[in-house]
Amino acid sequence: MSYAGWILLTGALVGISCGLTGVLLILRKMAMMADAISHTVLLGIVAAYLVSSSLDGGSMLIGAMLAGLLTAWLVQWFESSGINTDAAIGVVFTTLFSIGVILISTSVGNVHLDVNHALMGEISFIPWNVIELPLIGPVPSATLLLLIVTIIVALVILLFFKEWKITTFDPALAASLGFPVLLMHYVFMTLVSVTTVAAFDAVGAIMVVAMLITPAASANLWTDRLSHMFLLSALFGVASSSMGYVVAIWLNTSISGSMAFSTGLIFLISYFFAPKHGQIAKRVYKTNEI
Amino acid sequence: MTGLLSSSNFQWVLTSAVLLGMAAGMVGTMANLRKQGLMSDAISHAALPGVILAFLISGEKQLPVLITGAAISGLIAAFFIQSIKRTTRIKEDAAMGIILSVFFGGGIMLLSIANRVGGGSQSGLDRFIFGQAASMVRMDAYIMGALAVVVMLLIFVSFKEWKVVLFDPRHAKMMGIPVRLYSSLYTLLLVLVIVIGIQAVGVILMAAMLIIPAISSRYWTHSLFTVFVLSAVFGGVSGGIGTLISSSGSNLPTGPFIVVTSSLIFLLSLFFGTKKGLLFRGEKLHANRRYLKQGGDHK
Amino acid sequence: MKKLLLAVMLFVFGGIISGCADANETDSKKPLQVVATTSQIGDSVQQIGGENIEVTSLMGPGVDPHTYQATQNDIQTLQNADIVFYNGLHLEGKMDEIFEQISATKPVLALGEAIPEEKLLKDPDNPGVVDPHIWFDINLWKESLDKAANELVKLMPEDEEEILSQKETYFTELDTLLEESNDQMESIDQQQRVLVTAHDAFGYFGRLFDTEVIGLQGLSTEDELGIRDIQDTIDLLVERNIPSVFIESSISDRSIQAVIQGSEESGQKVELGGELYSDAMGKEGTVEGTYIGMYKHNVKTIVDALKKEAE
Repeated sequence: MSYAGWILLTGALVGISCGLTGVLLILRKMAMMADAISHTVLLGIVAAYLVSSSLDGGSMLIGAMLAGLLTAWLVQWFESSGINTDAAIGVVFTTLFSIGVILISTSVGNVHLDVNHALMGEISFIPWNVIELPLIGPVPSATLLLLIVTIIVALVILLFFKEWKITTFDPALAASLGFPVLLMHYVFMTLVSVTTVAAFDAVGAIMVVAMLITPAASANLWTDRLSHMFLLSALFGVASSSMGYVVAIWLNTSISGSMAFSTGLIFLISYFFAPKHGQIAKRVYKTNEI
Repeated sequence: MTGLLSSSNFQWVLTSAVLLGMAAGMVGTMANLRKQGLMSDAISHAALPGVILAFLISGEKQLPVLITGAAISGLIAAFFIQSIKRTTRIKEDAAMGIILSVFFGGGIMLLSIANRVGGGSQSGLDRFIFGQAASMVRMDAYIMGALAVVVMLLIFVSFKEWKVVLFDPRHAKMMGIPVRLYSSLYTLLLVLVIVIGIQAVGVILMAAMLIIPAISSRYWTHSLFTVFVLSAVFGGVSGGIGTLISSSGSNLPTGPFIVVTSSLIFLLSLFFGTKKGLLFRGEKLHANRRYLKQGGDHK
Repeated sequence: MKKLLLAVMLFVFGGIISGCADANETDSKKPLQVVATTSQIGDSVQQIGGENIEVTSLMGPGVDPHTYQATQNDIQTLQNADIVFYNGLHLEGKMDEIFEQISATKPVLALGEAIPEEKLLKDPDNPGVVDPHIWFDINLWKESLDKAANELVKLMPEDEEEILSQKETYFTELDTLLEESNDQMESIDQQQRVLVTAHDAFGYFGRLFDTEVIGLQGLSTEDELGIRDIQDTIDLLVERNIPSVFIESSISDRSIQAVIQGSEESGQKVELGGELYSDAMGKEGTVEGTYIGMYKHNVKTIVDALKKEAE
């Protein structure tokens, strides 16, 4: 496959995995948790490096997953002790991020594990970083990781679709019906962490936040049905990553930045033209009513 | 170490950090009362494209130009977040996430262009992302001082009005207080503190400076006035201690140490705070919950 | 591997076909496409390859290689390249790994890694880290350019003589540059020969001319700058009575300004000695846009600033 092909495929996989997870994030009113986890992942990666003294994918993934869960658990705990959600998130992620930065400057030293890279990512280099697979041939390792994660996310969402639906829309009812609401919460947080790490390596933290929240929020304006929302959100994710790539070539600029920016363009279109909850549809609906 | 403490560079950084901590603590209290803690995170990320556009358009790296750019883009972001929240079914946190990431993504695009066109790295644009406290000089200390004074004056001169506006905007309207004016003033203050603060501690940690002292102080008192004062104290103390720790060795970043200090104060407050601290809760728990609900809910 | 190779070849082919259209019209030989990361490499290699090669430098004037982010055009350029030269030793930060990957598909040479390890400077605080700013040691630079010339000859065996003679001419110029610079630097009093800059880019320069060098930040501009670093530098300026510090063209001057203001408070008048080209060179087409011109500019600026005060 050509260079552009790999970039587009990687971007599309980020779009799908983030788009799917994002829908649940939005509906569970936990959008900013994505922002928090995408930053605390840094601490996980640094810690994993300090423990294993290598930068390979496996230990990074585990470290980041643990950091994500730690974030979720701490936020939950602060919330239950009476702190506003947003304040709890703010305390937890900035503190964990700071510890990560301090660790980098004191213990990791000059090893090329820089904050800059972690935040911005570098998707342009992915196609060159390949591993050999039996039967298939060389595949960029980041793309492979993303593919696995996308499949896991899709499976977990499909297999427990009913559970997700009820714990998301009516947690109280779900609890009274005997659904493991808290367990689902942590399973979901693990999903978010894993998606974040996989996408993170490719496109950086900020882009992950854009991909998790914006396509899902746009989809939320188009439909009320959960299944449609999942489909649309993944579609928007793919569309914005491809659009971002085109824009990046056109302006000769950072790919991940353009991809994040493109999610905004799709949101803008949805904001005005979405048939259900877009501004124009709303106006039309109002005038009809009169 | 004693030589370091008496050196002027250390004192500039210390003064700036303490004053910034105080200003951020006070404004953060307002943000926290409006449940807008993460708004600061969104605005500080959203300031980036403004900084770089200002640089690209003016071709200058003068701080006032860059800060104006940052402020304008921060205000636009705040406005967008409010309008998304008001006109669609999307919740405020999702709106913040959208604006934060899309603006920052745009900023990264522009930064890449600015670095290529030339002069981008020379103008130190990336200190607006990560901040660099160590190279602050006398002028920075003056700016932080002015900021702290402005914030303090604006809050304490019309303290009664703020109190009503923050706790119960509807009631404030009935009392004839220009709520919109106060709301705009609040947003302006928030943006001002953020854009001045980010070059010291960076985009990501600016949110911590605003959020953490403000929530720590609420574990010690029920009076809003004392909350403001305590937040300023906690903010200032974290700024001071963080600077001290970070100057104990070379290559130590200042911002993260300020945040970690601030978090330690928060943990102490959470456990030992005399009003709502976990150790003092007991049978007062229910009363406190009720207070929290009343205090936090502004709608 | 084959598939990727095929893909890359197809891509390159596309480029060649579209490029060949013009080449055939003029009926001249298509120059070898050479891609270099920094302009120091780009300019020097161009001098050696002459008209047989076409060099593209990814990092222009004022660009900091430590924090460089590749753009889409760069990727295209890299894909169309016949050979890639980069500095290595982590100068280009995370781009290093990518060049290793590209080396599977086309010749790639890291100039820094072509030099025997014992000749390289190590970070005193961190022995595992090597100073990547090798172009400031003219002898080392010649050594690595020699390796680069060999790579070019491998690709263009028919032009061997021309390349080698151009290399000799260039090396003679470099020898003259070294002599001149040495004379000028020696005119500075030994006691005064202290170079204070924003980051540790001048280690090799210092070794070559027996000059003490102090950088506020470490070997990479990514390194954290603490209050202690600024204060230590100021203390040293005061103690040794050093009159000038220097800014670099690819880094913000903020930290150096803080040092100047801080020293002033301590009663030591420190002046800005001028702007040096550390990791980037001047604009293309100007004298400072060439390796030799850049080097002369640096030496002149340093000598002017450090000698003035000695009087």
